[in-house]
Amino acid sequence: MSQDHSEHRPVEDTSSADAPVVLVLDGVSKSFGPTKALQAVSLNVRRGSVHALLGGNGSGKSTLIKALAGVQPADAGTALLGGNTLDLRHLSPQAAHAAGLRFVHQNDSTFATLSVAENLAIGSGFTTGLAWHIIWREQERRARQAIERFGIKAKPSDLLKDLGPATRKMIEIARALQDVDEDQPGVLVLDEPTAALPTTEANTLLDAIRRYAEQGQSIMYVTHRLEEVFALADEATILRDGRNWTTVRPRDITHDELVSHMMGSAWDSARKARDHEIGAPVLEVKDVSAGATRNCSLTVRAGEVVGIAGLIGSGRSSLLKTLFGALPLEAGTVTIDGKPVQHGSPREAMHAGIAYVPEDRSTDAVFPGLSVRENLSIASLSRYWRHAVIQRKAEHADGRRLLRDYLIKAPNDAAPIGSLSGGNQQKVVLARWLRRDPRVVLLDEPTQGVDVRARAEIYQLIATASRSGTAVLFVSSDFEELVTVCDSIAVLRSGRLVTVVPAASLDAEKLNVLVHAPLAS
Amino acid sequence: MATTIVEPGQPQSAGTPNSPRPSSGRLIRGLEAYALLGLTVVVGAFFSVWGPTADTFLTAANLRSLSSGNAVVAVVALAALVPLVAEEFDLSVGAIAGLSAVLAAEAVAAGLPVILALVIALVAGTLVGLFNALICTRVGVNAVVTTLGVSIVIAGLINQITGGTTISGNLPAGFLKFGSGSTLAVPNIVWALAIIALAVYYLVDHTPYGRYLYAYGANRQAARLVGIRTRLTVGLTFVLAGLIAGSAGFLQVLRAGGADPRVGDSLLLPAITAAFLSAAAIKPGRYNVGGTMVAVLFLAVLNSGLNLAGVPPYVNSYVNGVALIAGVALAVLLGRRKA
Repeated sequence: MSQDHSEHRPVEDTSSADAPVVLVLDGVSKSFGPTKALQAVSLNVRRGSVHALLGGNGSGKSTLIKALAGVQPADAGTALLGGNTLDLRHLSPQAAHAAGLRFVHQNDSTFATLSVAENLAIGSGFTTGLAWHIIWREQERRARQAIERFGIKAKPSDLLKDLGPATRKMIEIARALQDVDEDQPGVLVLDEPTAALPTTEANTLLDAIRRYAEQGQSIMYVTHRLEEVFALADEATILRDGRNWTTVRPRDITHDELVSHMMGSAWDSARKARDHEIGAPVLEVKDVSAGATRNCSLTVRAGEVVGIAGLIGSGRSSLLKTLFGALPLEAGTVTIDGKPVQHGSPREAMHAGIAYVPEDRSTDAVFPGLSVRENLSIASLSRYWRHAVIQRKAEHADGRRLLRDYLIKAPNDAAPIGSLSGGNQQKVVLARWLRRDPRVVLLDEPTQGVDVRARAEIYQLIATASRSGTAVLFVSSDFEELVTVCDSIAVLRSGRLVTVVPAASLDAEKLNVLVHAPLAS
Repeated sequence: MATTIVEPGQPQSAGTPNSPRPSSGRLIRGLEAYALLGLTVVVGAFFSVWGPTADTFLTAANLRSLSSGNAVVAVVALAALVPLVAEEFDLSVGAIAGLSAVLAAEAVAAGLPVILALVIALVAGTLVGLFNALICTRVGVNAVVTTLGVSIVIAGLINQITGGTTISGNLPAGFLKFGSGSTLAVPNIVWALAIIALAVYYLVDHTPYGRYLYAYGANRQAARLVGIRTRLTVGLTFVLAGLIAGSAGFLQVLRAGGADPRVGDSLLLPAITAAFLSAAAIKPGRYNVGGTMVAVLFLAVLNSGLNLAGVPPYVNSYVNGVALIAGVALAVLLGRRKA
């Protein structure tokens, strides 16, 4: 489970510890209201090295990248690059670009219906002649240069939609770097570039990235895939709770050490939480097709936590939404305790005892402008409707009790929901559903954007619910989390459920392989 | 469910709101809630001592006229308020009131019992509201566009029915006496307003339906995902708006003793202004009934003073326009601070 990455060459010590530092981040801080997303984070990136930036949900990784990109100003902090000091409180994207920072974000930002040459030109400007007409020969020549320099297997006239995802990513990188000389000080920031790639494609991309680094490009590599860190990174900085927890050299530590750096004690409490009996089947999904999912069948028993793992676009969220009646069911049946569930609306799903915690809480779960109390009671108003009025005292009393029981940190239950941190808002959403004692809880990325302490608390809340017999379905892109919190894990690939495996027999790497492996016939 | 997650030496969690709300916060919120009412009193006091209006403003006659004259506006404002809580804009409430007034006046003038005229007014309003509801929720047309279109059609309808002239005369004496009379020194129209306001307040503040409206207004997607029947919930707001606007039309006939075909137009803007302005008072950041009443009073005092002072009509336009913009801006700012 540790260092056997035989598919990749281990990182050779080409960039030694004495390589000059090309980027210095100093004292970067950012708060959102009461939430301290970043607290005085400092780190150095060496020239020609791959510097991994690691951290779980809520660690502050994306906030740091956004500050560096000039997309979201920090409250404090500077970046020193090529002799220029950039004030991160007032950085514009143009200034970041001019200083030599280049970004390739997680989502595919290429234009599928345009050619390689056009995609490259859009990034840097077309060469135009009289009356702004585009000189295509020049565009082609420049595209050929980039293709050569970055080792892209494509012709300038190929359309992006006909190319593989790794090649598209490389074109994105080429587009970002094409106007940067190899000798110029500059840093390429890659944000989870392999997130949506199957294994073979991911390996191609990793090889390419290693080549770019060897050619002298300094790279900051944001990821939560530990195996990539060991395969690729010279140094790794781990962010936790908004702080630079530590910086390590991956070749000097073990996998377990890296995990414990990243997750701290959240894991221990999560591990200890699974020690109860699993009962009879509660949720039975048979041959369900809807949205991106096809012919999925699975069973969740009372007290069981079943995880769902799959790449973006594999159908994970569609499956949950369909089970909750938010997406139409095209085929198949769903039964709870043997009774078929009437599908078509969330109301009917709720009536059958299903609860759903959506992935994107700000667009799908939180009611801004309403108080914590109102957010807690919105799915349970009927219990307060007596004698033709809403019983406010009872609602208030329950609000206070729920704050305590669900470990929600708020001044009181009348506080506006927006004044709570992301983790606490998530706990409010969880409390809203768990207080109904549902038979089944569908969780979609419940710890996304949540700090470490709140994550541990959320695992506790889930464990308590499952101990009382609730069946839990848990979707997550964090394989470490799935392996630790779930009893068994279902793997979705391209909408099909390929296998269900007991979590005890898995670790994050094995799960990663299962998720990425190409579909066999 | 007591659990302890505290680990010694664990770094402080990034997401802990620390201190309890300071009591100065409560004081500020209290001031926010009653600021508009206070402003109304100040403006009223001003008109009571200012030269041109000192003798006429604070008289029993003027106050009676002010209150009964604006009672109908207040009811129309309540009609607009119900959809507004769900962040839907119903711009047809004025026209509905006008239509109901015309139909009720015609009915009474034709000799039908007053009760039947009331029923006709309410049914007409409800039917228009139902139409709005169906177009907005089933066909999916934007509420602003739908209600605007409907109000234009209704204006045409009113014109056709009345031929452009006011309906008056032929109204029974008892009817007229009730409409302009008072009970316990309060105009009867204002008593009617009080009853309607209480009913709307109850609906919006003390029923699950009201809570669902606020939830839908805060986040439509989330409302659906907690099991709220969004189409029904929103559709019903338009029906209720129509019903309430219909009652406003009837009250207008009671008060004026007839129906002016242009009354709908003159009701819409002050009513909408007051509905938006309601989020600046009593429950800052949220559209609410108490705030609507204060807003109507504020606009009434303001306009009454301006009229008594004999200012040219364009001044009224400036003042009311600015009040609308300021009201909405204030509501947005207060709402943003809460969220």
